[in-house]
Amino acid sequence: MLKKPAALVVLDLLSLTLVPVVMLIIIVYTPVEVVMGPVQKVFYFHISAAWAGMVCFILGAVGGAGYLLTRRIRWDWLSSAAIEVGLVFSIITIFSGMIWARPIWNTWWVWDPRLTTTAIMTLIYLAYFILRAGVSTPEAQARLGAVFAILAALTVPLTFFSIRLFRTIHPVVIAPADGAGGAFSMSPRMLNTLLISLLVFTVLLVDLVWRRVRLAQFEFEMTREVE
Amino acid sequence: MKAIGAYLGVVWQILRKDIRVEWRGRQGLPVMLMFALMIVFLFNFALQLAPDVQAGLTSGLLWVSLAFASTLGLNRSISLERENNALDGLLLAPVDRSAIFFGKTLGNFCFTTLVGLLLLPVFSLFYGQNLIRAPLLLVMLLGLAAYTSLGTLLSALSIQARTRDVLLPVLLYPLALPILIAAVEASRGVLAEQPLAEMSSWIYLLLAGTLIFNAAGLLFFETILEE
Amino acid sequence: MATITLPPELLRIDVHSLVKRYHRHPVLNQLSLTINSGDFCLLVGDNGAGKTTLLRILAGLVRPSQGAATLCGADALSNPLVRREIGYVGHQPMVYQDLSAYENLLHSARLYQLENSEERISQALQALGLAAQQHQPVRALSRGLLQRLSLARATLHQPSILLFDEPYTSLDQEAAGFLDRSLQNWHRPERIILLAAHRPQRLLSLASHVAWLKDGRIDAHIPVSALAGSPELNNYLREVT
Repeated sequence: MLKKPAALVVLDLLSLTLVPVVMLIIIVYTPVEVVMGPVQKVFYFHISAAWAGMVCFILGAVGGAGYLLTRRIRWDWLSSAAIEVGLVFSIITIFSGMIWARPIWNTWWVWDPRLTTTAIMTLIYLAYFILRAGVSTPEAQARLGAVFAILAALTVPLTFFSIRLFRTIHPVVIAPADGAGGAFSMSPRMLNTLLISLLVFTVLLVDLVWRRVRLAQFEFEMTREVE
Repeated sequence: MKAIGAYLGVVWQILRKDIRVEWRGRQGLPVMLMFALMIVFLFNFALQLAPDVQAGLTSGLLWVSLAFASTLGLNRSISLERENNALDGLLLAPVDRSAIFFGKTLGNFCFTTLVGLLLLPVFSLFYGQNLIRAPLLLVMLLGLAAYTSLGTLLSALSIQARTRDVLLPVLLYPLALPILIAAVEASRGVLAEQPLAEMSSWIYLLLAGTLIFNAAGLLFFETILEE
Repeated sequence: MATITLPPELLRIDVHSLVKRYHRHPVLNQLSLTINSGDFCLLVGDNGAGKTTLLRILAGLVRPSQGAATLCGADALSNPLVRREIGYVGHQPMVYQDLSAYENLLHSARLYQLENSEERISQALQALGLAAQQHQPVRALSRGLLQRLSLARATLHQPSILLFDEPYTSLDQEAAGFLDRSLQNWHRPERIILLAAHRPQRLLSLASHVAWLKDGRIDAHIPVSALAGSPELNNYLREVT
C-alpha cells in the first residue's frame, strides 16, 4: 500500500474542518437576503459547486491532453478522476439550484443558460463513463476517453453561449436589486462569504481528485500484482 | 504540392467510394428519409397541436428529423468500414489519416444534405409554409456541416466500443446541442421572414462549430483509430 | 513485373525493444528483430502469442507502447510515405461487399495514387485468376477467391515489404497451392516477406528464415538451413503442424 503523502493528510484535515466552518459562516455571519429569505443562502453552495465542477472538467481535458501527448497512464488517472468528481459537483449544482428555485419561482426547474448548461454537461460526462464502460482494454479507455474529454471541454463554451442567447430567468448575481428578475445585490459580507466558499470548494476539489487518483493507482498496482 | 494532391485524391476517392457503395446497395438514403418522415408523423400525432402552433414548430421538427436521420447515416457509414475490416485498407494508404476523416465527413454531409433537401418540399406541403428558400438552405448547409463533422468524429469513437450502435446517439446529442439550437433558431428566424443579419450570432455559432469540429477531426481522428 | 523502388541496402525491418500492452500484461515484451532484404521469414508461435500484433505494428495499424519498429528507417504509423512500401494481408480481406473485385482494386489503386491503374488491375486480376469474376459483387465470391482478391489488393502497388497474417487459414488445396506459387514468385532479393504461419512445416521449403515468437519476444531467428541445429524449434514446428 502506498503511504499517504503529508500534503494529502493536510488537505484532508483542511477539508474536514473548512466545510463545517464555512457552513457556520453562511448560517451565522452572512446576512439574510431581503427579498428571497433564508433559502438564498443555498446560493453559496450552488455557485461554489458550479465553479468546482467547471474546474474539474477543465482538469479532465488537461489530463486527456496529457495522456495523448505522453501516453503515460497517470494522466488518464487524473482525467477520469477529475471527471468523476466533477460529475458529483455538477449534480450538487443542479440539486442546489432546484432547491433555490422552488421557493422563489415556484418551479423545480428553470430553463436558464447556466443551469441548463450544467445539466447538459452532466449528461456529457455520464456519456464519458458509458463510453469507457463499453470499451474493452484500459489502453482504449484511456485513449478514447481522452479524446472525448477534450471534445467535451471544447463544446461547453459553445453550449453556454447558445443557451445564453435565449431569454434567461436566472438571477444576475451582482446587479442593482430589483426583486422581479430574481436578482439581488451583494453586500460586502455576502461577497466575502462567497469568496470563502469558493476557496473551500477548491480545497475540497483538490482533495477529492487527489484521493480518487490514488484509488486508481491502487487498482493499477493490485492488478499488476495479481498477474 | 504532390503531397497535397495525394491527400485530396484520397479524400475524393473515399467520397466517391461511399457514393458508389450507396448507389449499389441503396440502403442508406431511403432508410434515412423514411425515418425522418416517420418522425414528422409521430410528432404530428403525439403533439396534437392547433395548426398555427404547429407551424411555429416547423424549424424545430425539421432539425430533430435531420439529427435522428443523420445518426442512422453516420452509423451506417462507419459500419461499412467495419465490415471485412475495410477501414484497415484506408489506414494503410500512404497519406495522413485525417484524409479519411474528411472523406467520410464529406460523404455523411452529402447524404444528410440530400435527405434535408428532400424534406423541405415535404415540410412545405405539411405545414403550409414555403421552406424552399435560399437563406434556409444556407442555414441547413452550415448546420449540417457542423453536425456531420462532429458526428463522423464520434462515430469513429463509438465503433471501437462493444455497445457500438447505441453509443453514438449517447455521445453525439449532448455535444451537438449547441449546433442544433443554433440551427433551429436561425431556421426559425428565416421562416419568420427576419433578415439574415439578425441571426448573425447563430450563424457565427454554426461556423465556430464547423471549424472546431473539423479541427478536432484533423487532430484526433488518427488517434481514435489506432490501437 | 517488379519495379525496384528502393536499393536493397536501405530495405530492412528493424524492431527494437518493442513493447505492446493492451491490459496490464504486455503482449509483446522487449521484442527485437532484424529482417534483411531478400528474406522470406516465417513468423511462428502459439495462438495469442502476438504474431498479429507484431505484424499490425509493422504495418502502422497499431501504436507500440514502447520501443520502435521501423521499415527502411522509418515507422509506418507516423510516416505515410513508408506505407507505400508495405503490402499487408490480414485476417479479413479489407473489401467492400457491394463493389466488384475490379472496383475494389480501382479504389485501392486510387488510394495509392497509382499510374496506369487500369493496366495494373487487369494484370493483377489475370495473374491471380480473378479475371472471370472481376465484375461480380464481392459478396458472391468464395473464401478462396476473396483471399486472392486480398493478395491482389496488397500487391497492386508493388510494395517492397509483404506482411502476411496467417493467409492460409480456411483455404482449400487448390487455393493453398496457388498461394504457394505466388509467394515463390514474390520472393526476390529486393523484397522482404514476413509471414505468420499457422502451419509452418509445409512452408519451410519456400522460406529462408524462421522466427519464433514466444513469451512476447523472439526466442529464435535462424535460417531454415540451420534448423537442424535447433532441436527445440524443430520439435515445435513438428508439433504445431
